[in-house]
Amino acid sequence: MSRPRSHQPSKDAVRRRSTASPAVPRRRVRWLCLIALLAVALAACGGEDPTAAEGASEEPAAGSEAPESAATGGEDLEGEPIRIGVSLPLTGDFSEPGKGVQNGYDTWATMVNEAGGLLDRPVEMIYRDDGSDPNRVISDYEQLITSEEVDMVLGPFSSRLVLAAADVAERNDMLFIEPAGAAPEIFEEGFENLFYAAPAVADTHYDYLFEYIMALPEDERPATVAYAVLDDPFAQGTAYGLKTQLEEAGFETVTDEVYPPDQTDFAAIAARVADSGAELFVGGTQFEDSVGLIRAFQELGYQPQMATFSTGPTLPQFSEAVGGASEGILSPVGYSASADLPGNAEFVAKYQELYDGEPGEDPANGYTAGQILAAAIEEVECADSSPECQQQLIDYIRGAEIETIVGPLSWDEAGRPQGAHMIQQWLDGRIEIVLPDTEVKTADLVYPKPEW
Amino acid sequence: MPSVSSRWRIAAAAIAGAVLLMYPLVAPNAYLLYVAVFALMYMALATSWNIMGGLTGYISLGHSAFFGLGAYVTGLAVTRLGVPHLPMAVVAGVLVGVLAIAIGYVALRVRGASFVIVTIALVYIFNLLAQGWRDLTGGSTGLRVPAIGDLSRLQIHTVFFYAFAAMFLLALATWWFIDRSKLGMGLKAIREDEDKAQALGVPTNAYKISAFAISAGFTAVGGGLYAAWFNALDPVFVFSIIIGANMVLMALLGGVHHLLGPALGAVIVVPASEYFLVQLGETQIHLVATGLLLAIVVLVMPDGIIPALSALRRRRGPPAASIRESSAETATTSRVTP
Amino acid sequence: MPSASLLLQGLALGILTGGVYALLASGLTLYFGVMRVVQIAHPAFLFLGAYLTYFLFTFLRVDPLLSILVTVPLFFVLGVAIQRLLLSRLRPDSFTMMSVLLTFAFALLIEGMLGVVATGSFRSVTVDYATRSFQLGTVRLPYDRLIGFAVAVATLMLLFAVLRYSRYGQALRATIQHREAARLVGIDTDRITAIGFGLGLATAAVGGAVLALITTFFPAAHWGWIARLMAIIVVGGLGSVSGAALAALMLGVIEALVLVTLDATWAALVFYAFLFLTLVFRPQGFFGGRLAERF
Repeated sequence: MSRPRSHQPSKDAVRRRSTASPAVPRRRVRWLCLIALLAVALAACGGEDPTAAEGASEEPAAGSEAPESAATGGEDLEGEPIRIGVSLPLTGDFSEPGKGVQNGYDTWATMVNEAGGLLDRPVEMIYRDDGSDPNRVISDYEQLITSEEVDMVLGPFSSRLVLAAADVAERNDMLFIEPAGAAPEIFEEGFENLFYAAPAVADTHYDYLFEYIMALPEDERPATVAYAVLDDPFAQGTAYGLKTQLEEAGFETVTDEVYPPDQTDFAAIAARVADSGAELFVGGTQFEDSVGLIRAFQELGYQPQMATFSTGPTLPQFSEAVGGASEGILSPVGYSASADLPGNAEFVAKYQELYDGEPGEDPANGYTAGQILAAAIEEVECADSSPECQQQLIDYIRGAEIETIVGPLSWDEAGRPQGAHMIQQWLDGRIEIVLPDTEVKTADLVYPKPEW
Repeated sequence: MPSVSSRWRIAAAAIAGAVLLMYPLVAPNAYLLYVAVFALMYMALATSWNIMGGLTGYISLGHSAFFGLGAYVTGLAVTRLGVPHLPMAVVAGVLVGVLAIAIGYVALRVRGASFVIVTIALVYIFNLLAQGWRDLTGGSTGLRVPAIGDLSRLQIHTVFFYAFAAMFLLALATWWFIDRSKLGMGLKAIREDEDKAQALGVPTNAYKISAFAISAGFTAVGGGLYAAWFNALDPVFVFSIIIGANMVLMALLGGVHHLLGPALGAVIVVPASEYFLVQLGETQIHLVATGLLLAIVVLVMPDGIIPALSALRRRRGPPAASIRESSAETATTSRVTP
Repeated sequence: MPSASLLLQGLALGILTGGVYALLASGLTLYFGVMRVVQIAHPAFLFLGAYLTYFLFTFLRVDPLLSILVTVPLFFVLGVAIQRLLLSRLRPDSFTMMSVLLTFAFALLIEGMLGVVATGSFRSVTVDYATRSFQLGTVRLPYDRLIGFAVAVATLMLLFAVLRYSRYGQALRATIQHREAARLVGIDTDRITAIGFGLGLATAAVGGAVLALITTFFPAAHWGWIARLMAIIVVGGLGSVSGAALAALMLGVIEALVLVTLDATWAALVFYAFLFLTLVFRPQGFFGGRLAERF
């Protein structure tokens, strides 16, 4: 193919300057061709028909299937598997607790399958990673419900994600038991299908601690209180629940800091708290921020008489992360591995077998959610995604009191559990339950707190 | 002058468009319809971006600032004032467009790399404002926008399929008109050489700011529709560099100098990335894939797919004929305008 | 009204942090100077360096400061390779757009790979001296920040010395100032550009080690730094290392003061407020001098 060669390069060159250069080498064109075709082909595959999307995940591409539905021992049982869809933050801001919840779900599924399944059917967990993104949570559950057509759904982690996901579940008339949404806002939305799988909602987490403080003689009580709270509905729920009670009882709030979720530098916030000299510090935290705050407090030499943080100290890796500074730190907790509650010992043993370590609150909440679901399915004797079955399950749970590893649970019409959280304290490098002063207690509360 | 072949092309395009518009009626399930709406949204957003990026050459990596603004304005108005969703999205677009005039006045004082920096900063500024102004926006916990009506997910997706389609067509028409107009010529002059254009008397500031504002306004409408569709706004994810980068990637992939370039880019990237997300699950591998795709596009076909394919077609096809040798050459290599 | 001791503490923290910002931003200045490229992936490389430091510390017990000896040459070579093999292939007429997008792609790639290898868990390097602090009057200076500041200052001084007194450094400055003229006097600008890029990435290695010591990080952490560092170099004046250093110090102090008196969120806005002020009143930056460019 001969090309007429232009002998007027300058003018044409100016015109052509911003277009594709005329001499596109052959191999480059082939490259482009290949890539374009590949991309279009992939796009076609992705958007084609439902069986392609479904088949893609059921395909014996075991590599991609394995991380999504962990081996839960369901292969030996006969009968159609009961497929349970969950979206969890396995990456992103909430990935640590997200994985914890996943471990809890998997432990539950494994134990159920080893005991013969539900209604003689094995249980199969199907996971999606939402990266802590509420938008992804919505599309994940939509994909699970309408494309994967799972039989049941269980909730994700963190109050923020639960709000978004519960809406999708409700629109699809599905039961929504969730292990991690405790913020007050969740129960004010008017959801009729939602149940929280833990003893109490966020703003009542600290009830026992408040009672303890009020029971102290007046001159021993901490007089001033400082708050540093993550801008997150759960963290704020716990901290401000306590704050409301303390302020009503006359305790002075000397400083109240709120910080955004991606805050990693706590030196200045800690400086403000330290400068206030508060005797009681309340942290509304997740994990990383609790560690960051404690380190910053250590650097500044701030020593409150009592310090409590939500979430962070309940995780087993907390002690290592703060070095030796964990001694005396309080935290509200819904679960204790040493509590003598039905099914707890078996759960702890199985968890240790699978994951090598004691289960914390997040896996326990996941397991509890599974327990509630199992109880309902066994009682109502159906396990499909039809609105009738789902409504029967909902109605049953609404009126029942179900025994779980966190004690007997029952709910009000908005899904709020009617129990109360315990208070734990790190003592001698171990988590001990110090409140309430009943049979769950394992040690006495140490006050004032030793220096960190 | 529309020739016979281009009339055929227009007719074919119209028929294809009509067929595609019937997709909601044949979509197998709500999830696949959701993917289609998502793709349409990005088609509209990328085309809106291209009104600024493709015509002026000013690369804005921060268009998600306008997306987020549109989303929040719409969301807040619907939640606090009870106004209907869809008209509010349009109003939000206008409001944000006006705001963009002010922003553009400052931001367009610099060019090239600095302009990119400024647009990135814009995203973060609004992200921080949305998070910090808790009383107004709900802070980091985000804003819940009531759904458009008591409809099933399938119906909601259908409504927004058509809403985004309408927005997309409008954006296309706007790009097309600007491309042909005096404004467009001025913008392209700015793209080629801004100082010379200014010396020649082109009102560069006014033109740049206009393009910026129009592009921002459209993007904001997209954001408003998104708020009405998704009902959950989280500042971190709505004011996110990734949305803006996706818009740029799609426009680039398809070809920034072409009307349908951004749309083509969106049609390729959105289903592909959903597919990867479902298959691989892990968000991180998705990031690697996006990064690789972007790097490949930039290094190997920076003008996008459309020019690459048409270059291919020209090489394979018969050589252009003309009685003048030099114009035959330019006839084949001059920019393809639709 | 915040107490005097609180303000002093804020001031001290601000200076320490500002020094670190100066180090982190210096690389950006180099990239921009030699190639007019906005290297969006610089913070991502910073955290890559932080992760490398973390892994060397966790698995081989290498002290973070010592690991710099390993990571710096590595990153230097990486920087030269990236400039030579990838950036130089971009066409000059669309360079701005393409370089931004290409470096953005690098950032995504790095974040993705870090996430796959290291997972999304938050990491930090905790050494024994990290939680102790040095008391100066009412002000407590945490050891890890002091060390970070010292490393930053030392590195910047070294960089400055290289730029001022070494032949390569002078050639680099010449290239930054006027590429054609530099070529005319016989400088191999292509090679110098590659070296400049390598130097920039080497500072990322040092910066990463410092970050690992003083803060917690996760794969997506770099997003929060891009705009901040960019704001610093714009305020300081694009292309000027000393300008960036001064701007970094100033902004670090102001940010810390706002943090101790107001809110964390408003403190972050400080950077952007100054960015816009600079654009409105003095687009070529405040501290740059003759090296600084308008765009």
